[in-house]
Amino acid sequence: MKRIAIAFLMLALVLSFTFAQSATESSAGKEIELKFVTWWTGADTKGPYVEQIVNQFNAEHAGKIHVTLEGTNDADGIFTQIMTQLGAGNPPDIFSVKPQDEFYGYYDSNLLMDFAEDLKGDWGKQFAEGIVANTTRNGQTKSLPYEMAYVPIWYNMEILNAVGITEVPKTMDEFWAMCEKTKAAGYYPTAQMTGGTNAWFSMLWYTSICGALGGAGAFDNIKNDWATNPLYVEAAEILCKMVREYTTEDVIGATAAVANSHFKGGETAAYLNGPWWIANLDDARQATTEMAFFPQINYKDVLIGSVQSNLAAANQKDPAKRAAVIEFLTYFTTAENAQLVSNAGSVLAVKYEPLENSSKLAKDLQARINEASGFIPYWENCIGTSDVVAEFGQALGAMIQGAITPAQFVAQIASVM
Amino acid sequence: MTRNLAEKKFNRNWKGILLFLLPAMVLYGLFFIYPIITVIFTSLTDWANFRKMNFVGFKNYVNLFKNSTFLTAIRNNFIWALVLAFVQVPIALSMALVLARKPRGWKLFRTVYFLPTVISGSALAMMWKAIYNPTNGVLNAILGIFGANNGVNWLGDLNTALVAVIVQQVFYFGYFMVIIFASRLGIDDTMYEAAMIDGANIWQQEIHVTLPMLKPVLITAITLAMAYGFRHFESTYLLTGGGPNHVTETMGTFLYTKLSSAKWAEGNSIGTTIILLGGIMISVIRSVLSREK
Repeated sequence: MKRIAIAFLMLALVLSFTFAQSATESSAGKEIELKFVTWWTGADTKGPYVEQIVNQFNAEHAGKIHVTLEGTNDADGIFTQIMTQLGAGNPPDIFSVKPQDEFYGYYDSNLLMDFAEDLKGDWGKQFAEGIVANTTRNGQTKSLPYEMAYVPIWYNMEILNAVGITEVPKTMDEFWAMCEKTKAAGYYPTAQMTGGTNAWFSMLWYTSICGALGGAGAFDNIKNDWATNPLYVEAAEILCKMVREYTTEDVIGATAAVANSHFKGGETAAYLNGPWWIANLDDARQATTEMAFFPQINYKDVLIGSVQSNLAAANQKDPAKRAAVIEFLTYFTTAENAQLVSNAGSVLAVKYEPLENSSKLAKDLQARINEASGFIPYWENCIGTSDVVAEFGQALGAMIQGAITPAQFVAQIASVM
Repeated sequence: MTRNLAEKKFNRNWKGILLFLLPAMVLYGLFFIYPIITVIFTSLTDWANFRKMNFVGFKNYVNLFKNSTFLTAIRNNFIWALVLAFVQVPIALSMALVLARKPRGWKLFRTVYFLPTVISGSALAMMWKAIYNPTNGVLNAILGIFGANNGVNWLGDLNTALVAVIVQQVFYFGYFMVIIFASRLGIDDTMYEAAMIDGANIWQQEIHVTLPMLKPVLITAITLAMAYGFRHFESTYLLTGGGPNHVTETMGTFLYTKLSSAKWAEGNSIGTTIILLGGIMISVIRSVLSREK
C-alpha cells in the first residue's frame, strides 16, 4: 500500500516538475510567441498577403517576437470560435473579429486589450480620419477597424447585353424589367441565399433596399423601431418578390459558396458583395462586370458602407508581451502593408496609396464610393446578436414559401430581439 | 458467505480501492459533475456576454417553453429519437440477422454498411446536400427518370426538409448493425440445431431463439439510438442549420444558436432541458423494454 502511495507521489512530483520546467522556460525565454487567429488564411483572397506580412514580421523580429498564423478561411466558423474563446475567458493573442453586438459586449470585460492610449501616438495617425471612433465605446478602443465594406451591385454585363440591356438599372422599374428579361432568357436575375449564419447575400440586398427606401440613416433607430417602422416591411416585400421570382431554385438553405458559384459561373445577372471578392474574378469577367448603386426608390446612390472586420487582442498582464502585440499590430497596419493587402481587392481603414495598377472593378468601386450620397451599415451589424441575425434567413425561407407575410417576417425577427 | 468475504476484503483494502478510483472520480467530477452543476446553476441567471450574473429563478425556462421554435425543437428531437430507435435499429437488426447467416459476400457487406460510421459527418453532409440539390441533385434526377421530378428543394421546402434530414441519417445503421451482429455471433449454434430438430424454420428460429437472446443488446442499441436522437445536432446543423423557418430545428441547434450569441444562461437552460427530458425518456423506454414477461 505504501509503495503504491509513494509511486503516485513520485509520479505527481515528476509531472509537476516537468510542467514547471517548461513554463519557466517559456516565460524566461527571449522570443515572445504570439498567435494570430484569423479567417484571412488559405483560400481567402487576403490569405497570401497576410501570410506574407506575418513572415516578413517574423524575419525582421527573429529571436524577439514570433507570430504564428492560425485559422481557416471560414469567417463564420472562426468568429464562433473566437466568441467561444472569449466566453471561456481565453481569447487568442491577436485575432480578427466581426463588429457584432456580442463582440462589443466584451468591451465591458478586461479580456481585451485597450488601444486607446497607444493610438494617441503616431500609430493612430496610420488610420483613416475619424475611423477609429467606429470601434470606440465609452472611450475604450478594444478593437481596431481594419477592413471596410463598400457593397455595390455587381452586374454581369454579358448577360444584360445578351437580353438587350446596355445600361445598369437606375430605377426599380428598370430593375424589375432587367429581372424579367434575364429570367426569360434562362438566367437567374439575382444571387440570393437563406443559409449560412446570416443569409449574407439576401441580407445585403435587404440592406440596400432599406437604404434606397430610407436613406443612409435607415437603421439609425432600428433596435427601437424595428417592429413598428413600415419601412422595414416595405423592404421585406421587395426582397420577397426578388427572392421568390428572380433567383435560383436552391436559394433556400443555399450558402454563400452556392450563391457565389452561380455568379462566378456566369448564371446570375446581379450580385452584391464586398471588394474582397474582386480577386475571385478573372480579367475577362472583371472586364464584363459593372458596379452600380441600388436603383433609386426614395433615395439615390446610397451605398452599403461600414466596418467589415476588426482587429483585436487579448489583454496582457506581461508588459513585454503587450508591447509585442502593439509592435505587431502597428506593423500590420502600416500604409505599406495595407497597400499589399489591398491587392486582394479589399478596402482598408488604414491610410494608404491606392494601387496604381488596380483593377477595373476596384476603380469602379472607388468611383461609387466617391459618388455615394451616403453610407448605410449592414443590417446585421445594427439589429442585434447572432441569434437575431440568424432569424433573418429562417424567416426569409418561410416568407418566400408563402408561410408568412412580409409583416410577419419583421414580427418574427422582432420576437427574437 | 461470499458477501461477507467481499465486505471483509473491502474493509481491509478500502484505502487502496479508493486510491485507484480517485483519478477517475476526480476527472469525472471535474469534467462531468462540475460542468452540469454549473450549467444548471447558471441557467437560473441572466448571464449573457460578460454581464454580471443576476439570479432570475425559472424565468429562462418559462420563456423557453413559451418559445414556439423551442417547442418545435423538442418535437423534432422526439421524432429523431423514435425514428432512430424504432426504424434505424430494426433495420440494423434485420441486416445483422441476414449477415449472421453468412450469405455470399457477407464480409464485404458488413464492411460496406459499417464504412459510413468512420467517415466524417461533414463529408457525408456535403454528399447529401449534393444528392438533395433541387437542380443538379441525384434524387431529382432519378425521379426525373420516372417523370416525377418537380424540382423539389428537399432541404429547403417546409414540407420535406425534416423528412429529408432524418432519412439520410437512417441509412447509417452500420454502427448498430455491428454491435448486434457481434452479439448474434455469440449465440451458441447448438440452440439453432435444437430448434431445427424441433422443426423450427429460419423465421421461427430468429423469432424464438435469436430475438430473446439479443434482448439485452437490443435494449442497449435502442437506448443509444434514443440518446443520439435526443442530443442530435451534427447533420441538421450541416444540412439545414435548423431551417427553413426552424422546421428542422433541434434542441442542439437551438442551443448552439443561443451560445453563439453569447446568451449563456438561455443556452444553459436549453442544455438542462435536454439532459432532463433525455434522461426521463430513456429511463421510461428502458424500464418498459426491460420489463420481464
